[in-house]
Amino acid sequence: MDSIVKRLAERTSWLLFAVAAGFVSAALRRWQLSTAFEDVTGLAIPGAQASVILACVLVMSAAWFILSAIHQPMAKRPPVEGQAERWDLVFLDAGDPVYPILVILAAFLALAATPFFLKLGIDQWRVYQELLAAKAENPSVQLPSSNGALTIATAVGALLSFLGLLQMGRDGFRPGRRGKGGFSAVLPGIAGCVWLMESFRGHAANPVQWDYAPLLLAIVCGMLFYMDFAGMSAGAGRPRRLLWVSAMTLVMSAPALVSALADMSLGDVLLLCAQGLTAAAALWRLPPNLEHPPKIKGTPIPRQTGAATIQEETTDE
Amino acid sequence: MENWESEVEQNREELSSENPPEGASGEPEKQGGKAKKEASDGRDLYLNIRVLVGMMTLFVLMFTFIARIIVVSGESMENTLHHGDLLFVWSLGYNPKQGDVVVLTQESYQEDSIVKRVIATEGQTVDIDYFTGTVYVDDAPLKEDYIREQMLLPSYGEGLNHVTVPEGCIFVMGDNRNHSADSRFPAIGIVDVRCVIGHGIFVMFPFHHWKGLG
Repeated sequence: MDSIVKRLAERTSWLLFAVAAGFVSAALRRWQLSTAFEDVTGLAIPGAQASVILACVLVMSAAWFILSAIHQPMAKRPPVEGQAERWDLVFLDAGDPVYPILVILAAFLALAATPFFLKLGIDQWRVYQELLAAKAENPSVQLPSSNGALTIATAVGALLSFLGLLQMGRDGFRPGRRGKGGFSAVLPGIAGCVWLMESFRGHAANPVQWDYAPLLLAIVCGMLFYMDFAGMSAGAGRPRRLLWVSAMTLVMSAPALVSALADMSLGDVLLLCAQGLTAAAALWRLPPNLEHPPKIKGTPIPRQTGAATIQEETTDE
Repeated sequence: MENWESEVEQNREELSSENPPEGASGEPEKQGGKAKKEASDGRDLYLNIRVLVGMMTLFVLMFTFIARIIVVSGESMENTLHHGDLLFVWSLGYNPKQGDVVVLTQESYQEDSIVKRVIATEGQTVDIDYFTGTVYVDDAPLKEDYIREQMLLPSYGEGLNHVTVPEGCIFVMGDNRNHSADSRFPAIGIVDVRCVIGHGIFVMFPFHHWKGLG
């Protein structure tokens, strides 16, 4: 019972702070949307309280999580090469359903985003082609800034995210398997690149940075999170940075979610929810496992010399 | 907890059967080498992808907060800028000054950004004399060696031709005066400085158009 309470305490410190910071920044973003922009032009009011406080909260959250990551207790790197250098088993937690449930839910949210982006992209493509045909007859016709290709690519990316996240969730259901843990997170990471380009293109001519900076920063955090998550299984783990970027993904996704809801951009809403849930799952499992790596008796780990070995505990990096 | 341990133990057995101790297989070095090679391949692939993602992140953050590259569309800034030119635009901490080439978005006119030159800033008075084709700022005629041809009366009439620029705003015009929708045109008018995306620094491409814009 004591160990369960201890593990819960280890988990909640990161997750609770991240969720709390996310809620606060979402509420501030809501306040900012209603008070910090001019009604007619939509331009940002210089020095608006909500904008200043929101920026401060985000910066303070980033600083807090940097300090927390620095002080996170962590097991030492094992002195052997090969499988043991990886942190892939650090996502292991036999009997814990929270992680796989969150990640599989995130996978299906990413899948649900696909038709929204696809429909939008096809509509944009159709309009672009019609105007292109009209321009051939009348050169003064203005073409729209988007031909829909990037939006369709984002839909494909959302589908890739689904596959990657589903694999991550499945790995969570099969604890104790060597070599699993997150390399498939590369897929949502790459999909994030396309999503980022699509979102940036949509706002390239927008002079109000507050309109799109929260979304872009949330996507950037999500991409870095997925990539660091994958790195834990690829011999390139940076566990402290992964913890920080997981927390920031959760925090940054919250104000971006408020903006996406206000814009009725359902594809963005679903993808933001997906990355937020995955980040929450990582924050649930990582901190206690980094401190006390899961014990898998008998996991064979090849040594540098090639001699046979049985490792009693995966101490990881 | 018992279930937890039995599951892990079961997995241990699976793993042991998948990867028997090297002494038992009789080919310890071969197996160890294969495992290391697979790990190395996966790591290399991952590192390459990480570099690409990192570069993408840097580019987008730079284009959002620091500087941008835009493609000039239209002829309103000829002969300074030409249709299709790639223009490097600085955004970070920029405050428009008279004579600067700026990129701005005036949504009352169109959603896409436009490129113009700042003729006057807040507090200055602009007078346009179409008869002589001269622009006066605070009663002093501007020496405009950058305009393409002498300014004529636009098709929409004189538009805004005598105005004092309010606080926090600028008056902009295109260098190709007779083919430019700018602050004279009522749908654009005086531009709020918050609509300015940045300052055109130089033409990047094509190389034969390369030049600094000051």
